Amino acid sequence: MLRIYRRLWQVNWAEQWQYRANLLMYLLYWLVSPIVYLAVWTTIANSRGSVSGLTTNDFVTYYMTLLLVDQLTSDITIHILAYKIQDGTLSGELLKPVHPILTNTLVNNIAFKVLIFIVLIPVWSVLYLLFQPAYSTVTVQSVLIALPAILLDFGINFLLGATLTCLAFWTTRVFSIAEFYFALASLLSGQFVPLQLMPPIIQQAARLLPFQFYIYFPVQLILGRVLPETILSNYALGLVWLAFSYVLFRWVWREGVKRFSAVGA
Amino acid sequence: MASLKLISTFLKINLQIALAYRADTVVNILINLMWLGWELLGLSIIFSNTETLAGWGPGELIALLGVFRLVNMLMAAVIWPATEKFNTSVRDGSLDYTLLQPVNSLFLVSFSRIVVWRIWDLILGIALIIVGIQWSGGVVTFLNLIYFIFLVLSGTLVIYSLWIVLIALTFWFVKFDNNVTILQALMDSGRYPATIYPPWLRLIVTYLVPIALATTIPLQGLRGDLSGRQVLIFLGVGIAAFWIALRVWKAGVRQYSGASS
Repeated sequence: MLRIYRRLWQVNWAEQWQYRANLLMYLLYWLVSPIVYLAVWTTIANSRGSVSGLTTNDFVTYYMTLLLVDQLTSDITIHILAYKIQDGTLSGELLKPVHPILTNTLVNNIAFKVLIFIVLIPVWSVLYLLFQPAYSTVTVQSVLIALPAILLDFGINFLLGATLTCLAFWTTRVFSIAEFYFALASLLSGQFVPLQLMPPIIQQAARLLPFQFYIYFPVQLILGRVLPETILSNYALGLVWLAFSYVLFRWVWREGVKRFSAVGA
Repeated sequence: MASLKLISTFLKINLQIALAYRADTVVNILINLMWLGWELLGLSIIFSNTETLAGWGPGELIALLGVFRLVNMLMAAVIWPATEKFNTSVRDGSLDYTLLQPVNSLFLVSFSRIVVWRIWDLILGIALIIVGIQWSGGVVTFLNLIYFIFLVLSGTLVIYSLWIVLIALTFWFVKFDNNVTILQALMDSGRYPATIYPPWLRLIVTYLVPIALATTIPLQGLRGDLSGRQVLIFLGVGIAAFWIALRVWKAGVRQYSGASS
């Protein structure tokens, strides 16, 4: 099994490496909105001293950490799988004796992350000099506690993203449906604003939904801003979502592949 | 006159294309409305935590969102589809057919493909501007309204000119098909007043990729923040930018030698 993954890594790394120019462009796109939100909230915090207890530096550290965490937990499955379902090239992968999503697509996702970080780290360093965040609350412990969470959060994001992509077995409008999911995620994950500034009702919903694991929870963990009992309950909730998304994905995938062969034949 | 007739023909053709995919059009408008809801919710979250954003109230930010949507509409309906077609046509040489037409080549390249449903954003944008101004309770003088309209036009002209220069570069560097990404990427910064950005970002969106010229500046004109002299300068910048862009375009077309030769 390990040999399969190693071989897939070589293939997918080479594939992603071809598109390195596009990667830069993608990074540029993705960078703008966190920086804009950072500017919005630091402006407000500056004019009022603080916003609900969050100081200017709290916002700067939040969004600067978000830039790293978002790339670690994000998932690009829809972009690398949806077209294969639509144009039928998935057939070739279905013939292989391993699960194509849990091997090939997963490895491709990770290759993309590694490549992105080669570019992101210098860019992030420049932003660090520009914004000068004071990371006084970050400790070795807080980072260590966050690492398993980041892994868990990527797992949830990947499985839900793959489930969503599998809707391509039924409809050609999978990207339209995905847009609703992305809008929900960017609001409830903490990408727009730290969740504690949301209206109470949205906050309560966000605390139960899986989206907070994409950004808010791991960022707050790294920054050492989560209470010990919340760490435990959130880890438990995260595991529940991971199990749920795994079961959901397996089910949607099984039903989808059945349909796929029916269409392709 | 001829160009008006051409535009209406382009619109007709593109409307027919859109009507062939009615369901897609409906879905696209729904998605567009959803993003509007998202944007308004975002503003309401901001203003539940503060009364003003660097001197800008909620009404003014809604009006800014309206201006942003207008500019963004022009980009999404006309400019991005034109870019896609243009880049392909330089690579495979089909630009020859455009250049052979007895009409200005830049005009044909810019307006022959229009994503019709996006025009919906025109109505939405104007509605947002009116609601925003009403809400902010400020009295808009007739002069400021005129300033606003001219500033939107000249700001859009500057962005259009930058676009012309960027795509004209493809004449020299054929493989440069990421030519407009920088423009697309920075577009989102137009949702908020450029005055809140850190200095380096403000410089970029005002001078380098001047999104703010078409969004923040016109709204400042509407609020009465700008003097008549400043408005004239911005108009001059728009005309100068367009003049330079036309020069670059002409030089580019001269440089172009088709794909087969």
